[in-house]
This record gives sequence, C-alpha cells and structure tokens, in this order.
Amino acid sequence: MSAKQSACPRCRGSEVEMNYQGKEDGRVLWSILHCLRCSFTWRDSEPPESIVTEKRDPFFNVNPEDIDRYPIVLAPTP
Amino acid sequence: MEEIPARTSVEKIVNGAQLGSIAAATKTPRRIGSLRDFLQLLAENRQCITWPEPVMPEPDIRNIAVAASNDVQGGPAVIFDKIRGYPGRRLAIGVHASWANIAVLLGRPKGATIKEMFFDMTRRWGGKGAKPQLNWIKPEEAPVNELRVEKDINLYDIIPLTRINEFDGGFYLGKAAVVSRDPRDPEDFNKQNVGIYRLQLHGPDRFSLLSIPSHDIGRQILIAEKDRRPFRIAVMLGNHPAISMFAATPLAYDESEFAYASAMMGQPMTLTQSRNGLDILAETEIVIEAELMLGERILEGPFGEFPGSYSGVRRAPLFRVTAVSHRRDPIFESIYIGKGWTEHDTLIGLSTSVPIYSVLKDQFPEVQAVNALYHHGMTGIISLKNRYGGFAKSVALRALGTPHGLMYLKNLIMVDDDVDPFDLNQVMWALSVRTRASDIIVLPNMPMVPIDPSAEVSGKGHHLIIDATSFLPPDNVGPDMKLVNRPAGEHIERLMQQIRRLQEDGAK
Repeated sequence: MSAKQSACPRCRGSEVEMNYQGKEDGRVLWSILHCLRCSFTWRDSEPPESIVTEKRDPFFNVNPEDIDRYPIVLAPTP
Repeated sequence: MEEIPARTSVEKIVNGAQLGSIAAATKTPRRIGSLRDFLQLLAENRQCITWPEPVMPEPDIRNIAVAASNDVQGGPAVIFDKIRGYPGRRLAIGVHASWANIAVLLGRPKGATIKEMFFDMTRRWGGKGAKPQLNWIKPEEAPVNELRVEKDINLYDIIPLTRINEFDGGFYLGKAAVVSRDPRDPEDFNKQNVGIYRLQLHGPDRFSLLSIPSHDIGRQILIAEKDRRPFRIAVMLGNHPAISMFAATPLAYDESEFAYASAMMGQPMTLTQSRNGLDILAETEIVIEAELMLGERILEGPFGEFPGSYSGVRRAPLFRVTAVSHRRDPIFESIYIGKGWTEHDTLIGLSTSVPIYSVLKDQFPEVQAVNALYHHGMTGIISLKNRYGGFAKSVALRALGTPHGLMYLKNLIMVDDDVDPFDLNQVMWALSVRTRASDIIVLPNMPMVPIDPSAEVSGKGHHLIIDATSFLPPDNVGPDMKLVNRPAGEHIERLMQQIRRLQEDGAK
C-alpha cells in the first residue's frame, strides 16, 4: 500500500483498514480499503477521479468532525 | 390470459400437496424458479450475453451496463465471469434493463408494447380465481444453503462488488431484497416485509441500510429500537426476477410481496426458512443473515440515486452480518442506477403503475390506464373517461392518496381515454390542445421523496396536477370543439404491416 493510498481520499483520515485483496495466480491486483473515520470504501485500482483526493470533485469531501451536517435518517429512540 | 388473483390470504402449501387443487393460472410458457432459470430463458431469447473479455471492476462494469441498457427496448442482461481480481466469481447486471426482458419475464413476445404489458399485469393483479402458490421446503433441501459461512465472514470474499457510480461512498448492494418481520408481530407472514433498500458495506461484515420512517422496514427498525428487541433480517441477492419487481412495489403493510410475485407469475414460488427465522426464496443465490446494531448510526452515502443525482451523506442504521448462505458458484446480481432512464425504471415502472391503477379503478371505474414509469412515479400520466368538467382533478387528488402517491407522485398529467398515456406524442397533443393555464393545480409543501432534488427541503415540496382532459360542461367548451376522426382500427393496422413489408422488401 503506498503512502498516498493509506490516507482516505475523501476525508484525509489516516485510520484506514484493508478489507480485501483481489488476487490472480497469487499476485495481488488490487486492495479494498475502508476509512474508519468517514466510512469511505475504495479499491486502489479505480480511476483517479474516484480515489485521488486532488482529482476528486471536492463537493464530495466529507468532514466527520462536522457531524451535524449529516442528518440521521431514522432517529433512534433515546 | 386467465385471471390470477392476488388479494387473498397466503396458504402454506406443505410439500406442494395442495398445488393440484389450486387453479394454477399459468400462462408463462415455462416455469421460472430462480435467477438462473431466467438468465437461461433470456439467453434463449437472445436477451442475455456473457461478456467475452476480462474486465476491471471499475469502470468497465459500469460502462458496459450503461451501454447495454441504453437500448431501453431491447438491451440484454450481461453476465461477467472474467472480472480481474475476482477469479471464479460471477456478476449479472441489467437483468430487468429493457422492455424486451420484462416481456420475456411476463411470457410475452419480445416486441410486446408497454401498454400491452401494463394491461396484462392489471389482469394478473386484480383478477379472481387462483391463489398465490407458495410452498416451503426444508432448509437442508434449499439450494441457497449449499454452502454456508458462519465464521470470519468477509462479504468481499463471496460477492464481486463494484462501485456503481464514481462518487458513491462505497460499495453497494443495489438490488438486494431485504426480508424482515414486524418486531411486535413476528408470526404474521403477511406483515413480513420484502423490500429493496440500498445497502452500503462498512468493512467485511457490516453494512448500513438506508430507509425512511414511511418504509415498512423503517417502521420496523424504529419499533425494534424503541422496544430494545433484536431485529434480524435476511438479505437476498440474485433473486427470482419477479421478487425483484415486487420488492420495490408499494403494497400495503400487511400484504406479502412473495404472494404477489407468485400470483403475478401464475407459478409456484419455493420458499424456505433462513437460519435466523425469515422466509426466503429457496433458490436465491446468496442470503446474508444480519442483525441490527441497536441505536448505532454510521455515515452513509452519497449514492447515485434514481432521480439522477447523488443523495447526500447521512447517518444510517448499521447491521452486523451473522452468517451467509449461498449456492455453489453464486451469481451476484447488480444494477446500474443513475441519471436518466436506467434499469431501475424498467424494473419497477410497471409494478409502480399497476397498484396505483388498481386502487383508483376500485373507486373510479372511469380510470383507463396509469403510466407512472417515470422515475418511480415522480411523473405520472392517468387516462380516464371524463364525466364532467373538473372531474379529472378529483381523480388526481385521489391518486395522491394512494400508498405510492403519498410521497412519490409529484407531477400528474390527466388525459382523456382517447389518449394513450404510454404514447408521449399523444400526451403532448393533449397538453397542447386541452390544457388551459388555469387547469393546473400546485399543491405546496406536500410530502416528497427525500432524495428528490427539487424539494424545498428534503422530504417536502410542491406537487403539480395538470388537467389535460377535454372540456365538458360546465366548462365553456367553445364554438369549434369537434374532433377530427383519425382513421384507426384493424384496417389501419393491417395497412401499417403491409407498408412495413413493402419497406423491408425494398431494402433487399
């Protein structure tokens, strides 16, 4: 995993876990990565428009610290 | 076509013993028991292809799915079995992405018109005679239980997931049918819900489910959390093609999607029990058993949705996967959904239109047809026999009170019975010559689908009724209101066929 890929392309969070690796004949073709901060999941073989922060449309950035921006769809009973 | 009933209680038919006594109204030429059966039938009708070359999960599968479904009339389903990094895994997409595929499902010729299929479905929907044919087999006999994973579950190891649209927040199960029970009435089969909801993976064995309080499962989640009761679901992937149509259909809370799908097909449907207590299709490809993590919410989205825009990021309920059962070499069924016309629209267009028609027809026999094909009924066209000036507006208001109309029907166009609501040229004619600017009604601040980008605030916005029916007393009908008699009927249809033959002969 390269340094660039170890940070989340969407929130720049560094808590990233690897969920799966696609292999052929024992060779790793790609990895699926998951951000524990903003829940973004990506495959490191995807087009850069989806997975490289600088190439992504910034409209889709997520800031988990600004959590109130993101409505709760079914508010749980307190 | 014999009439097939639907609105009857479900009878459990153990081992098929009662099947012979049921007036099976089978008109579909061959029994479709599963997704596999349907893919085979599609292939025989040249409506299913297997992609010959290796593909990358992104963007190849998305691109090929869009290209196939751009032919709304005749596009095929596409099977991928050479996905890079997923050796041995299979993915099917576009299974319901063309009218030809829907026609094959309904047992009709590939060239059947949408209008013909609509009336076929209305007969099946509201008919009398047979009962839903559901039979149960033991879990150990069910093909879906051929293989089972209970430990170290990693959904990515079983399912070849791909990103559906480029800015989706993750990998989604976009065509999964989720089975759940009423937490306070778990024994009632009819209150068991089967619905399509978008599910986003959060790690190898967690997923979020997006719903709203008006959805059946939304109500159930809120009740389970209020009562602190365990809430278990079964997520079916790679389903009988009729269940995929009906899981997205607005039925009443106590109506079973399994029963409707069986009655619609006029064929038996085989169920079994999942190990966590839900009724599931015995021949489905993959079943994920999961449990709600009470009170937990996780960042979900965005997701490219059926209005053609991304729905934003929200905090949605989270589920933990407890087990997965699947057939050998399972086929993961996916869907492309996004801007414009997509598989979503052919999948649920008719099963959205027919229930609205059914409810309206009970009270207003003047209603002739309902075309709510456009983006889950956000725009619909209703034809009726006009009784008096203004009548259509009252029918339109009633349509807004149907289960689906409450939130989804946003723009309604009312036309006379001499206009085919499935022929947009005819609808535009009615709009052109029969609509007065004063014949529209804007209903402000009505409930709306939360993901409708035209809402004033998410979930609330304006509805529109356009009365494009003819002027009748007490309207001022005007001095020159006499229609041209356009030649029509069998003679004209024979002439059209003759002209087509002459055209084709000329090309040889």
